[in-house]
Amino acid sequence: MISARNLTRRFVDLVAVNRITLDVAKGAVCVFLGPNGAGKSTTLKMLTGLLPPTSGSIVVCGLDATANPRELKRRIGVLPEDLGLFDDLTVEEHLSLTGAVYGLDKRETRARAGQLLHALSLEDGRHTFAGACSHGMRKKTAFAMALLPSPRALFLDEPFEAIDPVTSKVMRDMLVAVARHGVTVFLTSHILSVVDQIATQVVMIRKGKIVWDSPPADLPKSLEQHYFDLVEAPLVEDLKWLGPARF
Amino acid sequence: MARTGAILKALAAAFRRGQRSLGSVAGNNFFLATLYLLREAGVFIYLLIALVLLFPLSTDPLRKIPASRLALWPLETGERRLLRLLSPWINPVAWLMAGLAVWAARGHFTFGLWATVAGVFVATFLLSDIPFTPGRAVWVHVPQFPGRWNQLVRKNLREIVCTLDFCCALVLSLGGAICRAIHLPLAPEAWLAMTVLVVLALSSYAQCLFGLDGAGGLARYRLLPLAGWEILAAKDVAFLAVAIPLTLPLAPLAGVAASLAALAMGHAPAVNHPRPQSRWRFSTSAGMVFGLLQAGFLTMAASGVYLSSPLYLLPVIALWAASTWNFGRLLEAPAAG
Repeated sequence: MISARNLTRRFVDLVAVNRITLDVAKGAVCVFLGPNGAGKSTTLKMLTGLLPPTSGSIVVCGLDATANPRELKRRIGVLPEDLGLFDDLTVEEHLSLTGAVYGLDKRETRARAGQLLHALSLEDGRHTFAGACSHGMRKKTAFAMALLPSPRALFLDEPFEAIDPVTSKVMRDMLVAVARHGVTVFLTSHILSVVDQIATQVVMIRKGKIVWDSPPADLPKSLEQHYFDLVEAPLVEDLKWLGPARF
Repeated sequence: MARTGAILKALAAAFRRGQRSLGSVAGNNFFLATLYLLREAGVFIYLLIALVLLFPLSTDPLRKIPASRLALWPLETGERRLLRLLSPWINPVAWLMAGLAVWAARGHFTFGLWATVAGVFVATFLLSDIPFTPGRAVWVHVPQFPGRWNQLVRKNLREIVCTLDFCCALVLSLGGAICRAIHLPLAPEAWLAMTVLVVLALSSYAQCLFGLDGAGGLARYRLLPLAGWEILAAKDVAFLAVAIPLTLPLAPLAGVAASLAALAMGHAPAVNHPRPQSRWRFSTSAGMVFGLLQAGFLTMAASGVYLSSPLYLLPVIALWAASTWNFGRLLEAPAAG
């Protein structure tokens, strides 16, 4: 369903993504982990056709991502890093726009939008302009926009950050449900405890290279411990300017 | 005192940066053309621009600090009062008003005129302290449009109407409408001139159609399964939905021709060099030469339709369609990153 071969992306002298190869099967929930600046968002942008790779090939939903960008957009749902919302449209108008451009009729759009607004606790804020929404509301709106057209593959950049625990659980359940319907889910996140519960494939990236790719059952330790082993966190020095420790 | 001084210093820097966008008036088609064509005769237009500019210039500098941050700072009551007292003087308009008051006292102009200008300043200053959320209240109820671009057109419409270009065009259009209503005996060419002025006031916006979409909006355009020409056309429909009603009381067909010409020329800088714009400011054109070329072309298109034949509208429509298609293609190409 998602296949990348020797994918590389350079920004002048910086190699953000370095010859990565990965395969995600239909109906899988692939969590793509790594520290800030590891290349997660760059990879996601390349997989969704937002950023052309410097070299390598990408096939998503049976389409060459670089050769058929518009057809690819029809088949996938994306929650981008910057959410991609218009300040001058309300939450509900964003969903109405999504339904219209993906070819859904008004009744179907209304029905799906109503269900998503309810599930994501956005009903009260449906007439709020995106520019006036909290970050959490904006993220939920972008998440609903990704789901509404019933995509074959979902790409989500940090969907659980800034989301309350209840909605986070709803979103998690939704992702598991859509995966059961054969939708491939590819997501990045830093909240290991959340993604640990839904992943069917764990991929870790560090300094632009994939350092781990397996089903969660094959992890030698817990996800969190294994992540810390691979990422090598720096030691925290005592903050001397706080004065001597008293407790 | 040191704390208040540090805050005022930071506030002055933030306010100065914010006011830089007001320099956009210098790169605005309408202002450039008025300056070039009317010179001394353009006093009324300059007064109009000054009045339109007075509103964004008269904001309270203290609102540059988020209310929550200001509340969190460990300041004494006296320091807060001092901040409230001194911060308005960061705004140069406050000094201007004080200077004008001295001038009025010496009898250089009437006290009534000073009171009017100062009143506008004070009212805007106080209004600027009311928390404003983008898109709220005034422009919620924009009309629905048929087709799948509906929400895009509505969004674009909300963006246009919160620019000073629109405010300026609206004032000019209202002036023309009043002349029409009272049957003022004007030469037929006057209607053409007023129409050109209205479209000229909007024309710089046509060069930065994506300026108010922000980075998030531009990312969303790249995700939508729409052809590039559709995204541009949705922008143009909103522009025409503003320009046509504004030129309706003047010379409507010439208004359509001028608007399409402004858009046909404006697509190039709008797509190739999208420049971020600010709400309640004048739009900035891509450059003086390009601005004058656009102004010349839209004047030619309007004159041809108004003075020669409405058939001149056809080549203008063809040119607009070709521009929309061509720059739509460029818009669709993935970002180089």
